[in-house]
Parts: sequence; structure tokens; C-alpha cells
Amino acid sequence: MFEELLEDVAQTNGLRETSTWLKLAAGLSAIVLCLLSTGYAAPLFIALILSAAILVLARVDPRTYAELFLVPLWFALMSVAVIVLISGGEHVFWSWDPLPFLSLSVTRESINYGFFVLCRVIGGMSALLFIALTTPMTDLFVVMRKVRVPDFVIDLAMIIYRTIFFLMDQVRQVYHAQVMRLGYSGWKESVHTFSMLCGSAFIASWDAGDDLVRAMDARCYDGKFALLGENRPVELRPLAALALFLVAASAAVVATQGMTLL
Amino acid sequence: MSSIVLEARDIRYRYPRGQEAIKGISFHFRRGEKIALVGPNGAGKSTLLQMFNGMLRPDSGMMLFDNKPMEYDRASLRELRRKVGFVLQNPDRQIIAPTVYQDVAFGPTNLGYSEAEVKEAVTTALRHAGLSGFERRTPHQLSGGEKKRVAIAGVLAMDPDVLVFDEPTSGLDPSGSEDLMELLEELNHEGKTIVISTHDVELAYPWADRAILLADGQIIKEDVPDVAFGNTRFVRMAQLSVPTLLELSAELEKRGFAVPGRKPRSVLDMVRIIEDHARETRCPPSPGTITVCNVDKTEPAAVPLWVQARPGVAVGAMGTRAKQCAATEQVAVEFTYGVIDKCILRALRGKDSLILTNGSMVSRVAERVEAYGKESGNAIAVVLLENPGRQS
Repeated sequence: MFEELLEDVAQTNGLRETSTWLKLAAGLSAIVLCLLSTGYAAPLFIALILSAAILVLARVDPRTYAELFLVPLWFALMSVAVIVLISGGEHVFWSWDPLPFLSLSVTRESINYGFFVLCRVIGGMSALLFIALTTPMTDLFVVMRKVRVPDFVIDLAMIIYRTIFFLMDQVRQVYHAQVMRLGYSGWKESVHTFSMLCGSAFIASWDAGDDLVRAMDARCYDGKFALLGENRPVELRPLAALALFLVAASAAVVATQGMTLL
Repeated sequence: MSSIVLEARDIRYRYPRGQEAIKGISFHFRRGEKIALVGPNGAGKSTLLQMFNGMLRPDSGMMLFDNKPMEYDRASLRELRRKVGFVLQNPDRQIIAPTVYQDVAFGPTNLGYSEAEVKEAVTTALRHAGLSGFERRTPHQLSGGEKKRVAIAGVLAMDPDVLVFDEPTSGLDPSGSEDLMELLEELNHEGKTIVISTHDVELAYPWADRAILLADGQIIKEDVPDVAFGNTRFVRMAQLSVPTLLELSAELEKRGFAVPGRKPRSVLDMVRIIEDHARETRCPPSPGTITVCNVDKTEPAAVPLWVQARPGVAVGAMGTRAKQCAATEQVAVEFTYGVIDKCILRALRGKDSLILTNGSMVSRVAERVEAYGKESGNAIAVVLLENPGRQS
């Protein structure tokens, strides 16, 4: 159950008290720098720094981080393999034409390009995970209000956020009850049981919606949702760290321009 | 006699396409009363409670708040719901917002308070519910008892006159239940009328001023708890059980013990009955003292020193803040619930004790001990401990 895991990590991470703006700035600018870079080294450098920040500063469990990283990395590796095989080049190491219209080849250029894409993916992912693991949703709501996202969107997002955990809990309970009574013992049973799980989740969410309206009414709902408007101040040390990171990363982007693997 | 705050006159209610859930009920609650609505599952308790803040409207009959018939238009309902706070059985269904602060701020914000007022209301409510420091936590990280407290704080933030609790202790462990009942006691002591629905007679019996036995949509009996729960016929009709203390006193009475007119409401009362009986044979020791310490007005660090200087003193903590104080100062607490009674029991054995508490509960200790002294003829000294640090 990934969403919960991510959010739980974010709620307790070591950088929780750092200003949300700084964390967002670090993550987003890292993504932009990865996209601007024309060499493979700069994204790897960014990934290294941000991973170190996640593991050391935010004190995220390395195992959790590795697990989170590996899942998308598999997809990236498969895509990179395809890129390497189908894009052509001059220095051919190996080639094969299984069909008249399809030729597969491994060339120096394709390997360089594939590796470059892989490094970018790694850099971008570490930036995204940095935001996801250090900034809980609840802090993002505050930012959303600051950047003038319409109120009803934020209110909806907050209710959805709250309800997700509640529904997940319900689904988990029903699922366990089904497993205990051997609901998933065969393929046919699994289909049947799963459909019942969906049905009860639907009814549960309907009920929860009803109760939500009643709970809000009971507390004089008048179209307003309170926000924890508390701003965590931008402190000097994290700000300096961010500036240093940006300068170093930009320098890496410029210095390693056009750098290739082979 | 204090004024009537909530009243029902022959109300009836039928769920759409369903059975009649409330079959003609009349009652009234006075300001500052503690009421327990007791009945089996399906007796109509929850349905009835939902009429108190206008969530349901009776099909016939009349509900009155502050001697005025309830109106069911938007503006009147808002006003009513501000004054009658409702805490649902399942706190998950009541907590709306993604953080504790936001959830508790929900009511005040919608009442149009300014940001500073909201902040103050939330801080006070959280302090009251013993949740200071929980502002930025998310509800799914909290335990069942903590969620319940968030739900209560959310209602307290609107400063209602009447607090309605549907099955307040369901899903809580025994010590969580005791904590919660103590919080209700504290709120009541501050002048709030409290109504709970429950099927736990052991819980309702010592707590309530008045009990209403409900079964099958009707009131079977409405009286002080020892009368309401003492009659086996009514209790059986309501599919409940007689509280152990009442059962025990009835058995003792049958065995020739002199049981006073007022039935025992606590272990303390029970012990008195037995000791009075035994007194003829032995002479009691001179009673010990009870020292009361207001944790809000005392240097916290002075408490452990005071305790260390007096070996043999047992410490009881009453109220969340007192418990927090004891935990931070690492004072070994012997009693966490039924504190006053347990300390009186100790005093009767000639032993001293210290009660950590706060606010209005300080006077509550003195009142309770004095009342006991008048009834039993055992005068126990209550000493107020203020700023022991500064004295020395």
C-alpha cells in the first residue's frame, strides 16, 4: 500500500520542519536541471546529492528508499533497452535484421543515448522522491492556497486525502476477512471475491460520504475549511544549502555539457 | 433548581420505509446535569440523540432548547448546533480535515471567527482534550483514544452548552475509557450539560446524575441511577444487567448489613458499609491527609522533590494535564482513575496521599472529601500544596 507508506514517511521525515518552499524549489529545479543537461554526468550528480539528502538529512530508511526507487527503475531499464536496440548510428557493434522492415542494432551512439536517458530518469526520479518523501500532502495544501489554487479544489483535495486513508482501512479489513475465509483460493473464486470487495468498497464510500455531510453539518459547515496557515520560516542554513546545491548542480550541467559514456 | 436546557414532548419518529424508532418520548434535562441514556442495541438511543441537535426532526411532538421550540431552518439549526455539540460513536466518521489543527478549527472557522479567535479556540480545546502538540499530526496516525479526543476537541472548540456523546467509550481500552469519563467529569464541572448514550451500566451507574432506561423506542424508567438500575424488572426489560455494586449491596442487605438509604455508588461507599459493620469490633486508625497539588500553579520540578521527601505517600493524577505533568517529571503515579475515592480509602487506613490535578478539579477534591466526611463522620484533612518549590 504505497500511498500510505509514502505519506507516513513524509510525515515523520527529518526535513519535516524545513520550509516547504525550499524543499519544493530543490526538487523542481533539480528536475529542470536534469532536463537541461546534455551530458549524463550532471543528472547522476544531482541524483547522488538528493539521495544523500533523503538518506542522511531526512533519515529515510535506506531499504524503503531502495524499494521505492527500484520499481520505476525497472520500467526505465526496459525502455532504455528498446532505445538502445532501435536507434541507429555509425559505429555498429552488433546488428540483426529479423524482418525486412525491422533492424535491431547496438551502436556507440545508441548506447550513449540510452545511458543518457537512463541517467536523466534516475536524476528526475530522485528529485520527485525527494519531494514526496520530505513534504507531506498537508504541507502542500498550504502551498496550494498560497499560489492561489481555487479554494474548492483544495477543499476537495483535503477531503479526498482524508477519505483515502479511511477507505483503504475499510478495504483492508474486508480483504482480510475474505482471505481468512479462503476467498482467493482459486481463479474463479478470486474474480468473484474481488468483485464483492469492489462492491463493498463502493457502499462503504457511499456511507462515508453520507456521514461526512452529516459530520460537517453538525459542526455548522458554511462553505469554509480551515487551513493550518502556519508558515515554516525560511531559515538561513537550509537556504544556504539549497543555494549551494543549485550552484553546484548548474556548474555540473555546464561543465559536463555533451559528455558521453563511450 | 436549575433551568431546563433541553426538553422533549411526546416525540415520535419513523425512519422512511422503516419501523417506528421513537414511540412517544418525553423528558427534560437541566443545565449542568449528567444524563445517561441506557438501553440495548436498537433501542433508539442514537436516533434520539440525533434529535438533540436537529440532525433528525421528530415526525410528531416537539423538541425544545432553552424553553423555545426548535426551528429547522438553516440559521436556527446553525445556532442550535453551536450550542449542542455532538460527538459521534466512530471518530473516523467525524474527523473531516487532514490535520488535527484543521479539524478542530473546522467549527470555529465556519462560525466566522477571525483567524486569531480560531487559533485561540483551537489551542484551548486541544489543551482541554490533552492534545497539545498534536496540531500537525494527521488523523490516520492517531490511536483510537486520541482520535476520540480529536473529535471531542472539535466540538469543544465551538464552546457548546450541551455535549452529546454517542457511545463515548466504545472501542476504547479500559484506561482510555476511564480517562474519557474523567474528561466528561471535568467538562461537567465547568458547567456543561453532558448526555451520553451507552449500554455499559457499570460505567453509567457511578457517573450519571440521572439515568434514562430506554427499550424499543420508549422510556422504561427515568430516575437517579440507584433507583433506575436497582429495579431488576426494569433492568431486565431494558436487556441490561444490575451494576455489581448495587447487586452486592442488595446481597449485603439480605445478610443483615445496615445499608443506608442512598445506595453505594462507588467502592468507597461499599467499604464504608462493610467497615461500619465491622467497627464495633475494632478501633479505626486516625485518618491520613490528602494533599492536592494544582499542576498549573506549581513549579513542575518541585513535585518529585516533594514526593521524594515523603516516603509512603501515594500519588494520584487526575486530568490529562496532571498525567502529562507526572509523566514528564517522572513521578510514579499509583492512581489514574477514581483518584479521589482511592485516596479517601487510603486516608481511612491512616495513609497519606497526593493528588495532582488542575483548574476547577482542585475544589472538586475538597468538596468530595468534605461530603464524604459529613456523611460518614470521618473528617479527612485536605491540604492545598501551592508552590512547594518557592517555600523551601
